[in-house]
Amino acid sequence: MNTAQPVMLESFPQAILHFDGDAFFTSVEQSLHPQYRNKPVVTGAERGIIACASYEAKRLGIKRGVALHDARRMCPGLIVLPSDYETYSMMSKRLYEIVRRWTPVVEEWSVDEGFADLTGMRRLHRCSYEQMGRDIQCTIAAELGLTVSIGISLSKGLAKLCSKFRKPNGFTAVRGRHIHLLLQLHKLKDVWGFGSNTVAFLEKQGLRTAYDFIMRSEQWVASRMSKTQVEIWHELRGRSVYPVTTEEKTDYATVSKCKSFTGPNADVNFIWAKLVRNLESAFIKLRRHRLKAKLLTVGLRLNDFRQTGVEGRLNRATSAPAEALPLLRTLFERIYEPGAAYRATMVCLGKISTDATDQLDLFEDRLRIEKMEASARVVDRVAEVFGKHKLSQGSSLFLDQHAITPRDTLPWRKLNLLPGETERQRVGIPMLGGRCSRGR
Amino acid sequence: MLLGYKSNSPVQSLMKRLEQLGYVLRSANGRIAFTGKITGEIKLLGAVSAGFPSPAEEEMVDLLNLTDFLVRRREATYILKVDGDSMIGALIGPGDLLIVERGRTPKSGDIVVAAVDGDWTVKYFEKIGRNIRLIAANKKYPPIVPRQSLEIGGIVRAVIRKYGA
Repeated sequence: MNTAQPVMLESFPQAILHFDGDAFFTSVEQSLHPQYRNKPVVTGAERGIIACASYEAKRLGIKRGVALHDARRMCPGLIVLPSDYETYSMMSKRLYEIVRRWTPVVEEWSVDEGFADLTGMRRLHRCSYEQMGRDIQCTIAAELGLTVSIGISLSKGLAKLCSKFRKPNGFTAVRGRHIHLLLQLHKLKDVWGFGSNTVAFLEKQGLRTAYDFIMRSEQWVASRMSKTQVEIWHELRGRSVYPVTTEEKTDYATVSKCKSFTGPNADVNFIWAKLVRNLESAFIKLRRHRLKAKLLTVGLRLNDFRQTGVEGRLNRATSAPAEALPLLRTLFERIYEPGAAYRATMVCLGKISTDATDQLDLFEDRLRIEKMEASARVVDRVAEVFGKHKLSQGSSLFLDQHAITPRDTLPWRKLNLLPGETERQRVGIPMLGGRCSRGR
Repeated sequence: MLLGYKSNSPVQSLMKRLEQLGYVLRSANGRIAFTGKITGEIKLLGAVSAGFPSPAEEEMVDLLNLTDFLVRRREATYILKVDGDSMIGALIGPGDLLIVERGRTPKSGDIVVAAVDGDWTVKYFEKIGRNIRLIAANKKYPPIVPRQSLEIGGIVRAVIRKYGA
C-alpha cells in the first residue's frame, strides 16, 4: 500500500496547462508533406547537424545534435530535410492562437512549448479543466495535423512534469490531492530547474524522488538552498509561484547567437566574418528589445568539436556592434589557432540593462559613440525595408566567398515560390506539398 | 475638483490668468468659453459650393481585405498548388492555388484534399451510406475507393488563379 502523504485535499485551486509539441519541426514537415508520414525524417540539412528527429527516427537511435553523416550511417533510408523556419514559425503562431481560444492568458515559452492559465474558465466553457485540455489537443491535431503533449496541474513546474510524463500525444492531468503520486514517480533530475549540481547535492542528503524533496520542510530547503529552489519547492507543492505571463520575453539574462558553418572551414577571414555576423545578429536582437550589454563572450568550435571560449568586458554598456568590434577582435585573436579548421562561432552578450539609462563617461569620445549609435539605427531601418543584414560590417564580404547554398539546403517552400513571391517575401499561409504526380 | 483643489479661490486666480493670456473668454454672466488658442482656429479659405460630404468615407468601415474574404478560419487554412488535370471539369486546372481548410468533416459534393499513397489529391467527396469515394472531374480518372482509412487533408474553400505574374 502506498504510504505517501497527500500535500493537499483540493482538486484544482488553480489550473495551469503546459503544452509541448512532439518533435515539432519534423512533425510540421510530416503534416504538410504526406510522403514523409511514418518515415524516419530529420531536419537540419543546412547545418550538418540534426535539429529535430521524428519519432520514427528516434526509434532508430537518431537524436537531436547527432552529426548528419553518422545518422545516415545508422539509417540509410533517412530523409534529411533543410530547416524551414518560416513555416515552423507560422505553425507555432497557430498553435498559440488555438490555445488562446480557451484562455487569453497564454505564455509563449519557446517555438513549440507554452503555458496557459485556465483558472476560472470552467463556467465559460461549461466543462472540466481536463476536458479543456483534451479539446485543445484535438483541435491542434485537427487543424494543424500536429500532436502535442499536454500536462495540467496546479503550477507551471507541476504542469511541465505532467506533459513530459507521457509523450508523444500524451495527456496527463494531476489534481491537488494526487500531486504526491506524481512526484513519487519522478526522479530529482526530472524536476524543472534542477541542474546536475542540485541533484547531486540532494542525493547526498539521501533524497531520491521529487516527493522526497517536497516532504522536507520549507525551512530545511531555505537554510540549505537558494531562493529559486525554495520557489521550486512551493511550485511542486501546488502553490503557483511563477505566473503565466503573456508579455513577450524581454528580460534576457544573456543574448547569444551561434551559427554552425555549412562545412568545416580554416579561412581566418571567413571565421572572423562569421563571428562579426553573430555579433551583429545579437545586437539586432538587443536593440529590438531596447537593451544594451556590457559583457562579451566569444566561443569557437573546432572541427573535432573541441570548444574554446573567452570573455571580456566592454568599456560601457552599448547597443552598437561597432563599439564592441575592437574587443571582439582582441578576444578572437586570443583563442583562434591559425590553420585549424572550425565549424561554428558563438557570441554571447551579458550584463544586459535597459537602453533608457545612459551614463556619460568623462573620458569617452562622445562624438564617435554617437556616430556608432546612429549607424546602428540606420542598419535597423535598412533591415525593415530590405531585410536583415543587407547593410552590415565590411567583413561580411568574406562570407560570400564561401556562401554556397546548394539546392538541397534550401527548404522546399523557398524552391516552390508562387507567382509574385520573392526570395524575401512569401504568402503568410503554410503550403501543403507532396510529390509531383500527374493526374492526381 | 479636476485639479485637486480643496477650495474655489485657486481656480478663480487660474482662470483669471488664462483670461489675461487670451486662452478663455468670460461673458457678462460669468460663463466661460475657450478661445481659438485652445480649440485651434478655423481658417476661412473662401466660399465653396455646399453639398453633402462624400459617403465613401463612412462606407469604408465594413470592408474585408482579400485574405479575410477568402479565409474563414485563419489557423486551419493552407494553400495547395494544383498539379494535374483530374479536376478540370470543376474548372480547377494545373497551377491553380487552392485555399484549403483543415479539421472539418466534409459533406458529399465538397471538393476535398486527401492524402492517398503519400501524396495530396484533389477530388469530389462522395459519401453514400458508409461508403466513401473520391471522384475526379475528368473521365480519364476512375473513382478512388479508400481501402482502409482515408485522411482528409481539408475542404477546398476557394480557388485562386493568377495571370501574368
